[in-house]
Amino acid sequence: MGNASRLAIWQYITAIILIAVLTGHLIERFPPVTHQSYEQSLSPSTFYSRLKGAWGIGLLLLAYVALFHGLNGIRGMLYEWLPGRRREKVWDALFWILFIIFASIATYTVIALPAPTLPK
Amino acid sequence: MSKEEKGGLNGVVKTFRNLPGFWRASLNPWLIRVRNHPERLAFVLHRVTGAIILFYLLLHILVTDVPAYHHSWSSWQSLMASFNNPANHIGEFIVAGCVFYHGLNGIRLLLTEFFGVCIGKPERPKPPYIPPTAKSCQRKLLYAVFILAAIFWVLSGLIIFGVWG
Amino acid sequence: MALSDLKAATKVPPKEVTIRIRRYSPTTGKTWWQEYKIKPHRGMTVLDALLEIKAKIDHTIVMRYSCRMGVCGSCGMIINGMPRLACQTQIAEVATENNPVITLEPLYNFPVLRDLLTDFTNFFEKHRSVKPYLLRNDEAEREEPYDQYIMSPEEYLDIYEYSLCISCGLCYAACPVAAADPEYLGPQALAYAARYVLDVRDEKPEIRLKIVDTEHGCHRCHYAGSCSMVCPKIVDPAQAIQRLRHILYKWKLGMWRKKTARTASAPKVWKPRKPLPPEVKPVRPDIDYEAIEKEPVTIEVDGIKITLRHLIPTKADKMFGEERKRAEAQSS
Repeated sequence: MGNASRLAIWQYITAIILIAVLTGHLIERFPPVTHQSYEQSLSPSTFYSRLKGAWGIGLLLLAYVALFHGLNGIRGMLYEWLPGRRREKVWDALFWILFIIFASIATYTVIALPAPTLPK
Repeated sequence: MSKEEKGGLNGVVKTFRNLPGFWRASLNPWLIRVRNHPERLAFVLHRVTGAIILFYLLLHILVTDVPAYHHSWSSWQSLMASFNNPANHIGEFIVAGCVFYHGLNGIRLLLTEFFGVCIGKPERPKPPYIPPTAKSCQRKLLYAVFILAAIFWVLSGLIIFGVWG
Repeated sequence: MALSDLKAATKVPPKEVTIRIRRYSPTTGKTWWQEYKIKPHRGMTVLDALLEIKAKIDHTIVMRYSCRMGVCGSCGMIINGMPRLACQTQIAEVATENNPVITLEPLYNFPVLRDLLTDFTNFFEKHRSVKPYLLRNDEAEREEPYDQYIMSPEEYLDIYEYSLCISCGLCYAACPVAAADPEYLGPQALAYAARYVLDVRDEKPEIRLKIVDTEHGCHRCHYAGSCSMVCPKIVDPAQAIQRLRHILYKWKLGMWRKKTARTASAPKVWKPRKPLPPEVKPVRPDIDYEAIEKEPVTIEVDGIKITLRHLIPTKADKMFGEERKRAEAQSS
């Protein structure tokens, strides 16, 4: 009893971080700012330079924060939809397992991304 | 839970569970018919858009991992080429709308729920008996959210379908 | 807003209305819709209509009601899809000449015992679980208070709105979270928790904050605001829950300390009374006011002279019976 606010506070803190980082992530594909066409902004070289630069850490943070925020939101909905002590433990476990799996995939992407060999 | 199932009056009387349920409450903003009540619509939209965004996010992380997983960019380029079709653009357009609405409404919810502002001040009830929640600035914020999200959505549509930029 | 149309009572209701009631029988476990036709009069409420049906058409309808004036909070039901108090809803407000059908359902999110009668056991248990009373450090003093708690008008206004709750259950019936999660504390209990956490006379807010800080407590609220929109007493539970949650987060982050009321006690030893100021001197010293007061006043009504008795009581006024007669004879 009395510890639910830890996750709830993190839900709001992640929301505040998301507002800042996600805005940056959306601007990355906004043609007037990037001076690239919408399709061009996904070319291997742009993608590589984006992920391997300083902004790569920001994108990794975005992945962690968005995963936490989204999965925690779904966890809350599952608490409403199918409550019960045993089930709630399953939802908690599912939340952390999915979070760790997808967070590690995102980390692997940033670390192991190969340099593009193709010309622009 | 157990008491609810056993029924009222210590389980003596067989009761009828009058719960509309999770899906009706989360998907139908007109479950109770109250006039001039956009917050309920905002609540339903926030849930639905949140679920769509999470689904997209998980896919997005997996797709972004493709070049790192295959250690080559050819798979990435073929994947991007396969995504360049109208059905995918419509999907992208829907996700963009969800992100704009969820984000802007999220700012409003942060202000009201976390920072406890824009929720009005308690007052003595007097005619015409409108609750402070319906008079407070969160209602104006909500209308601003609807309008701004619509504008951003249209702009994102112009970009996604190649009309602009 | 149950009182959205303030002039509903002055409107003319349709000549004949059809009342559709969702009925439930606990013996057979079946639910069905039943229709009744009545001729409403001006100013008739839905509860009046139900009582007329019960008296004249079908006495087997079951509902709960008591005061018939929106004070007891017993007659909550879903009227045309909106949770309302039947006694505060005019027929003219919910039925028109074009659509003279009123649909009545038992309150959502409550177990139905029979017809429109719902079981409030769980609801009141949740209400009790948030400890809806003042908690003081000195329990003996709380049970038998000998002092008064100082509370400013602003502090009183801060909680006054929430203290108007009549526990009618309309907010709980409107809540989209309570519609799915039967363990959710609900707007009523959470608003009550907020009412006592914000009350300056309460000294132990931590206990109540720990009770609401659960997975089925205040974090499940998503600010749909339906509770405030249907409240017949304008309690505004949505606002109360957001304030409660804000306080909870601040308290968890160590940024909130409660302001509690001081007590104002009566002095242990009575001081000698202050002497009264000297009497005001007569305005005009040349007039003998006492003599004027003793003079009998004579007024003339329709040619008959009536002598009123003097205003200062004489000795005779303080006597009774034979004694008084003698004194009056002496004075005359």
